[in-house]
Amino acid sequence: MSLESKEDAMVNKDEFKPLIVAFCCNWCSYAGADLAGTSRLNYPANVRIIRVPCSCRVNPNFVLHAFQRGADGVVIAGCHPGDCHYSTGNYYTRRRFTLFSNLLDYIGIEKDRFKVDWISAAEANKFATVMNDVLEKVHKLGPNRKLRDARWKR
Amino acid sequence: MEKITVKVRETARQAFSSGEVDKILGFAKGDFWQDSYPIFITNENEVDSLIWDSFCINNLSKYLIKELKNTQKIGVFLKGCDSLAFNQLLQDNRIEADRVVIYGVPCVGMIDAEKVKKEGLNKGLLEVKRSGDEISFVTKDGDKNVSGRQFDYDKCLECNHPNPVVYKELMRDEVSREVNKEERFKDVEEIEAMSAEERFSYWSQQFSKCIRCNACRNICPACSCETCVFDNAAAGVSDKAKVDSEDQFFHIIRAYHVAGRCVNCGECSRVCPAGIPLHKLNHKIIKDINELYGEYEAGLDPSKGAPLVTYKLEDIDPFEGHKGGK
Repeated sequence: MSLESKEDAMVNKDEFKPLIVAFCCNWCSYAGADLAGTSRLNYPANVRIIRVPCSCRVNPNFVLHAFQRGADGVVIAGCHPGDCHYSTGNYYTRRRFTLFSNLLDYIGIEKDRFKVDWISAAEANKFATVMNDVLEKVHKLGPNRKLRDARWKR
Repeated sequence: MEKITVKVRETARQAFSSGEVDKILGFAKGDFWQDSYPIFITNENEVDSLIWDSFCINNLSKYLIKELKNTQKIGVFLKGCDSLAFNQLLQDNRIEADRVVIYGVPCVGMIDAEKVKKEGLNKGLLEVKRSGDEISFVTKDGDKNVSGRQFDYDKCLECNHPNPVVYKELMRDEVSREVNKEERFKDVEEIEAMSAEERFSYWSQQFSKCIRCNACRNICPACSCETCVFDNAAAGVSDKAKVDSEDQFFHIIRAYHVAGRCVNCGECSRVCPAGIPLHKLNHKIIKDINELYGEYEAGLDPSKGAPLVTYKLEDIDPFEGHKGGK
């Protein structure tokens, strides 16, 4: 390690690096992320992608778990309504997470920390925009402390 | 003895002698004026222990899940709120309708023993009688008569269905209660008006009172899973340490799990030993469902699909922020 990069590591130690957990549906958004990669588009490295068979596979437990154990923001990405590989999965996602995000808002969790979006396999640009956008908003909000497990250590 | 108790016993006796039912779920009186507890009776000799008074607050329909496993036909006494719960259990495929006989009891409201104690009326109290809104407190030194609904449970004051929505026969005449529909989500609007920080501090303070006794889950007619995630030690969601994040997790998931199936009976808040206003979470979800997906009342019509297991192509889409692609 060069002297320069050592210094970098020391300077950045206290800097807030948000962690975003993205649940991506196998058929659209995960492929969209893949395309973003192969097209050399810039999207933040702080995004951890978890592949799920369909956006409606995401249980609200997963979202809360992510917040408890280190995530500062959570994204659920699925096919556009009407384009679901399983025909109807994302229609359920839409209803479920509309209510769920309202409930989180009601309990006092900032709306910008949790996002659902529709990203198709061809929308590499949209994938990168959404991730950059979420990261920027979460960065502004600062580290998530509200649902964090007190025993969790980075 | 009150007229309704006579009718309840008579109905039960007839049901046993005609062979209509093998078991009856009803209420018996305990040692104290406020003790009315559920009993299950299986023959005619026990019929005289049945009663009905202003403290029969428990919802008997949830016992049906367990009792129907070992009994062929069951008779059950249900109030308005209990009958909604019955329909919900039916919709969730937890019970079979043709194995249950419902005796409906129109309900004017149940009396909250805590409110009576607060007013100091419990000293030497032997019995509480009620006819309509006329309540009479029978003590050793004579009766005290009160008129009004000030002793009713809070949830009873907001009751939409005092009369059972499903029954074989009614135990008394139907009750009419006027409820202001405009004001039914007032509690939710009060919280919505707060800032995010205020809301969070309000709820985290409420949730931190939780002792995780699971009473809210066990009493709930919509919480009827055979195995619950909170009983699974391996799930890592309900450890032994008392941490805020797990309390929050429990309450968010509990409220969300009954979304679209909550019959708004208010039992969760009533049984909470820590006094957490759990119904305000359920109210919020009911309010959102009504606003976004049309008026829906769980338990009213079991043939109608619940809002979270159905969808419409033209449903509102709050996630369409980013345009792109097509």
